[in-house]
Amino acid sequence: MGDRPIWEQIGSSFVQHYYQVFDTDRTQLGAIYTGESCLTWEGQQFQGKAAIVEKLSSLPFTKIAHSITAQDHQPTPDSCILSMVVGQLKADEDPIMGFHQIFLLKNINDAWVCTNDMFRLALHNFG
Amino acid sequence: MGDRPIWEQIGSSFVQHYYQVFDTDRTQLGAIYTGESCLTWEGQQFQGKAAIVEKLSSLPFTKIAHSITAQDHQPTPDSCILSMVVGQLKADDDQVLGFHQTFLLKSYSSAWVCTNEIFRLALHNL
Repeated sequence: MGDRPIWEQIGSSFVQHYYQVFDTDRTQLGAIYTGESCLTWEGQQFQGKAAIVEKLSSLPFTKIAHSITAQDHQPTPDSCILSMVVGQLKADEDPIMGFHQIFLLKNINDAWVCTNDMFRLALHNFG
Repeated sequence: MGDRPIWEQIGSSFVQHYYQVFDTDRTQLGAIYTGESCLTWEGQQFQGKAAIVEKLSSLPFTKIAHSITAQDHQPTPDSCILSMVVGQLKADDDQVLGFHQTFLLKSYSSAWVCTNEIFRLALHNL
C-alpha cells in the first residue's frame, strides 16, 4: 500500500467504503456528502446531503450488490481527487447490469467528502 | 439552449468537440490539454499535453467512431465542470464496444481546458 500514490489510496478507500455501505444499508451514506454535494442519478439532479440520501434510500430494490470491474483515480489541480468506477450490479432478482460512476472528493476540515457524484447504468438503446 | 445551466452548455459543447476531433483527426486534440493535464487510458497514466497527444495519436486504429448514449455535467465547488459520458465506439472493423469517459474542465485565461480525463472500455471479465 505504501507504493501507491496518496490519491489512489484515498480514492480506493472511499470507493470500497461507498459500495460497502451502499450494499449493506444505503440510508447511512449521508456522512460522505455535504450540503453542497451534487448527485446526478440516471440523469436526475439532486443537491445536498438530505436530498441525496432520500433519493438513494428510496431506490426501488431491497437487495443490491455492486462488483467493481475497474477503478481509476487522479489528483486534480484544486487538490481534489477524481475517481471513476466501471462495474456491474445486481438488484433483487434483476439481471446483472453494467454501471458507470464517478466521484469528486474534496478535503474539508481533514475529512474527505464527496462533492460530486454521477451514476449511469450502461444501457445503450440501439437507434 | 438558453434554458440549460451554463455548465451543461459548456460541458456538452466540449464533449461534442472532443469526439468530433477524435473521430476525424485525433492528433489535433492537443489544444484542449495543458502541461499539467492527466489522462488515464485503460489504466495507464499520462501527464501533460505532449504525452497525452502521443498516446492518443498512437492508438492502433485508423477509423474510429464514437456514439454518445448519455452525458451528464455538474459544476464543482472549485468552479470546474465535471462531465461523464457513456457511449459506444467502433474502431476499424472491430465489433462495437461500450465505453466510459470522464472529463474535468477548468477555465484558464477565459478558455476551458481539460485538466483530468479518464477512459475505460466497458469490458467485464466474468
